[in-house]
Amino acid sequence: MRWPLPFSPRHLALMPIAALMLLPLGWMLLTSIQTLPESRHFPPVLIPSGIHWENYPDAWNAAPFGRFFANSMIVTLSAVAGNLVFCSLAGYAFARMRFFGRDVLFVALLATLMVPFQVTMIPTFLIVQKMGLVNSLPALIVPNLVTPFGIFLLRQFFRTLPIELEEAARMDGCSRLGVLVRVVLPLSMPALATLAIVTFLWTWNDFLWPLIVITSTNQTTVQLGLAQFQGAHQTNWTLLMAGNVMALAPMLLVFIIGQRWFVQSLASTGLK
Amino acid sequence: MISRAARSEHVSGWLFVAPAALLIGIFGILPIGWAALLSFQNNDLLTTPTWVGTQNYHTLVNDPVFRQSVNHTIVYTLLFVPLSVGGSLGLAMLLNARIRFSWFYRTAVFIPVATSTVATGLIFNWLLEPTYGVANYLLGKVHLGPYGFFQNPDQALYSIVAMTVWGWLGFDVIVYLAALQGVPESLVEAARLDGAGRWATFRHVVFPLVSPATLFLIVWSTINALQVFDEIYVTTRGGPLHATTVMVYYLYSQAFEFFHAGYAAAIAEVLFAITLVFSLLQLWLGNRRVHYGS
Amino acid sequence: MRRLFLIAATALLVASAGCGGSSSSNGVVNVTVWHGYEDIEGKAMTSAAARFNATHPKIHVTVQNYGNADYALQKVLTAIRGGSYPDIAYLYGSWAANIARSPTAVDLTSRIKEPGVNWNDFWPAERQAVQVGGKVIGMPALVDNLALVYNKKLFDQAGIPYPTANWTWDDFRAAAQKLTDTSAKQFGWAYVADGSEDTVWRFDALLWQAGGDILNSDNTKAEFNSPAGVQAATLLQQMATVDHSVYLDNGNGNYANLFNSGKIAMLFTGPWDLSSFPDVDYGVQVLPGLTNHQTISGPDQWVLFNNGSQRTQAAWTFLKWFTSPQQALIWSTQTGDLPIRASETRLPGYQAYVKKYPGVSVFVQNEANALKARPVIANYNEVSQAMGQAIEAVLLGKGQPQQELDQAAQQADQTLATGQ
Repeated sequence: MRWPLPFSPRHLALMPIAALMLLPLGWMLLTSIQTLPESRHFPPVLIPSGIHWENYPDAWNAAPFGRFFANSMIVTLSAVAGNLVFCSLAGYAFARMRFFGRDVLFVALLATLMVPFQVTMIPTFLIVQKMGLVNSLPALIVPNLVTPFGIFLLRQFFRTLPIELEEAARMDGCSRLGVLVRVVLPLSMPALATLAIVTFLWTWNDFLWPLIVITSTNQTTVQLGLAQFQGAHQTNWTLLMAGNVMALAPMLLVFIIGQRWFVQSLASTGLK
Repeated sequence: MISRAARSEHVSGWLFVAPAALLIGIFGILPIGWAALLSFQNNDLLTTPTWVGTQNYHTLVNDPVFRQSVNHTIVYTLLFVPLSVGGSLGLAMLLNARIRFSWFYRTAVFIPVATSTVATGLIFNWLLEPTYGVANYLLGKVHLGPYGFFQNPDQALYSIVAMTVWGWLGFDVIVYLAALQGVPESLVEAARLDGAGRWATFRHVVFPLVSPATLFLIVWSTINALQVFDEIYVTTRGGPLHATTVMVYYLYSQAFEFFHAGYAAAIAEVLFAITLVFSLLQLWLGNRRVHYGS
Repeated sequence: MRRLFLIAATALLVASAGCGGSSSSNGVVNVTVWHGYEDIEGKAMTSAAARFNATHPKIHVTVQNYGNADYALQKVLTAIRGGSYPDIAYLYGSWAANIARSPTAVDLTSRIKEPGVNWNDFWPAERQAVQVGGKVIGMPALVDNLALVYNKKLFDQAGIPYPTANWTWDDFRAAAQKLTDTSAKQFGWAYVADGSEDTVWRFDALLWQAGGDILNSDNTKAEFNSPAGVQAATLLQQMATVDHSVYLDNGNGNYANLFNSGKIAMLFTGPWDLSSFPDVDYGVQVLPGLTNHQTISGPDQWVLFNNGSQRTQAAWTFLKWFTSPQQALIWSTQTGDLPIRASETRLPGYQAYVKKYPGVSVFVQNEANALKARPVIANYNEVSQAMGQAIEAVLLGKGQPQQELDQAAQQADQTLATGQ
């Protein structure tokens, strides 16, 4: 018997899931429009007395957030660019090329992900200090220019592409680099978009490393700036949530725009 | 005799990986070496350290809380990985359709991943609060509970699993969505025309074609799960009564509450060894099972 | 000639700058202060620095919020280890004993004898907390103590008279029982039961009231499993597992919001929480006691770090100024923090301060009840964790007081024996 619905049955499954997933955003928005005394209730007040939009400009003005956003943008976009370039190069080499020590190197790079940051942050700080980069934006960028995660991701994706295309290009006289840039990358937009989004996410939300390495307001990033709303004994929930919502906005924008690339229209995936 | 072509392949291979290898070498491998050295010291990061050989490791073996932390870490990982990877594949399949508002659903699924851990912790603290929380309220309506969740030593770790799966699902979903773009519509239709049902099509066409992504997600999720920390820090802080003390939490408290950084480094080295074994195993199995190319 | 001398002098000063950044430019010494204050206190800190800079032209103080208190220790440790530390940092009581051992921390024992410091003007608990092994390693930054804060309306509704200064443990327990209403999800008392120092220090007050001690006098053996300790733990056990009159907070601060929402009648808490209760008409009273009403004080401190003698001297000048009676009173009036010196209560501005913050005067008087302090030793945190686990187990009904405390004492003895 056909399901007599005017819409796809997928909606029935997706709506409750979406509602569950939207819970944090809903809660953040709710708290951000409350007054501070209202936020000091438990269980939380679900229907606020009014909409206090002033929390947003208040949060923005509590610290030089314009500066913080600019700093975060510079750091994040640099990290995204760096990862796209370096992970593509390395990922392609691991996926398609045979060279001495390849597999050992791959595991070694992956192994750097296996030691928790709490242990490596101090020696990393010492290294950055030797480079004279403490309390500067490059200190936030350089260690994040390439990540084994990205290399692993792209290696997997590159290997799913039909090798015949690459071989054909090489026979036409294309260099390895040329094959990568002209054949492989255009076919890997979903993977590249995914890497870009994820790198953006992590760098934008990074907190502990900037905390350790940045000691002045001029170089502070957004997440670090938000931490100011959390004191030792008190937290200004309304301003903190307003700040968090504002910090989330670029993230969501990037994701919504990026969807165009990692979920291609199905018509274009005919690879032959 | 290596042919010229092969030799140039070695050279270009290394040239391609050189920038990454250099950066990761400096910022990844050097610090790990330092941490390894630290594990052989008695070091509080403030006064002059002393070298104590393998004493830290001997102490670890006899430390009941350490043994508990290993246990909790592995249980957590064995639950988290299948739930998040399996669940996300299902969700990705649901989202990979031309229905209205699909962009909205995908963004919704992504939001928990983009939300700060602080906010996530606050929400779950509220949801799962035993007396006033929404979860027990709803469960009470169907005559279940009330449960202690974060405050019950027997339930706390599972509550963390639920919280982290919820928080990370969207990430795996994006990777799978990207992978699903590489599954040609023509193949799926061909299978249908051959009379294959939904499940058979999935099992024999879709699943093998996204297996590279599956391998990636399994390895990646395992590495992450073995290092779970942030979510525990904003909710249970390793409690109640060490029920959610996992290895990274334990090493964090050793280094930054008790000032035993050398001991913490030893814990990290054991964690490293465990992670390496898991990953190598998965990569090896993956190389045999994963289907590359179309 | 003059100009040449000036250039040479400047060059010399710049050249002698320590590795923590420039120490001076045109004769002005730069002092960096790290703190964890936000909001009102953060603003008070900035304005204090401005006031100081205006009256001390040779020194320029910059204050920097070092971020969330939870992560601040990691930042401070990394900075110390990496050699780029500030001149002054706000340190929480639980860190001080360890950080004081760093060779970079300045010993203030001789400096506190300078005229104008008036060391004995600081409360006894504060002075005890900044002394490690006979050395003075910091200046008091904050003092507070635990008192009984209660919701007057809930007492009125239940028809119980407000707590008095003579309340005993039995009075307290009986009141908590009457104030608990499970159908309305209302609790008589709340206790932070996450096994952390928050769990332990409330217990400490009860332990001391019963005549017990945490450790013996030379800090080599645990004594909290004495009959006094068992008595205190039994009170907690009875109230939590028999009366069910205690809300067990899991360390995320829900108790404050619940109190503000009228769901909890009484708290053992300090002045920092008062601004979280805008919707409650609260009263403050000394803790319920036995033969005495001892309380516990939780002092934090400013520690000086060595960035060269010039900066150390400048930083000390600032610290001395900042902790002087007049400046400390300005701070208290702006932030609601308790006065760190007894003499502040005799200054003209004190009455305005008391009027501005209802209930604060009880806390100030209660400071006289803070007779004992927690041991200031390097491995205090491990002793505390052993105690915290024991108390949490008792509160959750997973263990009996004597056994849990004995087990904790054993662990504590082991830690103390390694003497790290």
